[in-house]
Amino acid sequence: MVNRLERRREWGGFVSTGSPNGAAAAAFLAAGIGAFAMGLIAFLYAVDLLPLPVLYEPAGGVSSRTTLALAIWLIAWGFLHFRWRAREIDISRTGWIVGGLIALGVAGTFPPLWNAF
Amino acid sequence: MLFSERSLWTMAHGIGLGGAGLLALAAVLFAFYLLGEREAIALSSDWPARAVAHLTGLAAVLLWLASLVGTYVVFPPYRATPPEGAADLAAYPRSLLLADPATSWLHAFAMETKEHLPWIATMLTTAVAFVAWRSGPRLLRDRSLRRTASGLLALSFLIVAYVSILGVFVNKVAPLE
Repeated sequence: MVNRLERRREWGGFVSTGSPNGAAAAAFLAAGIGAFAMGLIAFLYAVDLLPLPVLYEPAGGVSSRTTLALAIWLIAWGFLHFRWRAREIDISRTGWIVGGLIALGVAGTFPPLWNAF
Repeated sequence: MLFSERSLWTMAHGIGLGGAGLLALAAVLFAFYLLGEREAIALSSDWPARAVAHLTGLAAVLLWLASLVGTYVVFPPYRATPPEGAADLAAYPRSLLLADPATSWLHAFAMETKEHLPWIATMLTTAVAFVAWRSGPRLLRDRSLRRTASGLLALSFLIVAYVSILGVFVNKVAPLE
């Protein structure tokens, strides 16, 4: 515990370089999940499969769509961080999964895709 | 007054926050390039990692502000509905764009893209900023972490650059005055 505290002081209060990388993997994967959620929500809303109440009328439906995606992102992050923070995770494999989720998410925000359905 | 309030907010959103966010992302990516894995391992101090953490955090904050201002300050007047029978749609950019088939894509494609895509970049950059702060020097020394982090930042940069160009197009044809 003393060593961990000493490393905290060196870095200015944050986790040392010797800690597991699970928290990093959780952050990356949660971002991928959030990106996927954003694309999926945009797509489902555009094809009238996801009616959402408007949260902020002047901004319209985008206020609820983006808020929902951000909520999914934060919930996923909290869950993954709690599960993985003390573990060492394969970052390379996680990176590929994240890349796939982002690709799908970006595709979901592409208006021509909405028109295809 | 030379510039309207709506015009000033649009400039703050696009040039001030979005532009600064792009610069910060570019700076962090360049830092990753300069601080190669071997160089990072050889460093005797942690200040480069601290600088990367600060810069990534700044990029995340700027992108958050750009997205929030864009969605909740600039977008509402953009999408405002004109009164029935309005002949001059200049004050209603969305309606102005949709009224002409030659410009309707600027809303149906460009602005619809801008509604969602920037938030993805915001989430990605926030994740990397968190990792930079939490991992410290390990982010620069660990090959897998470096690659994933720099890959996500590069994607964020491309996304922000893309939506910025779309915003320039929209504002050129239907400026928010």
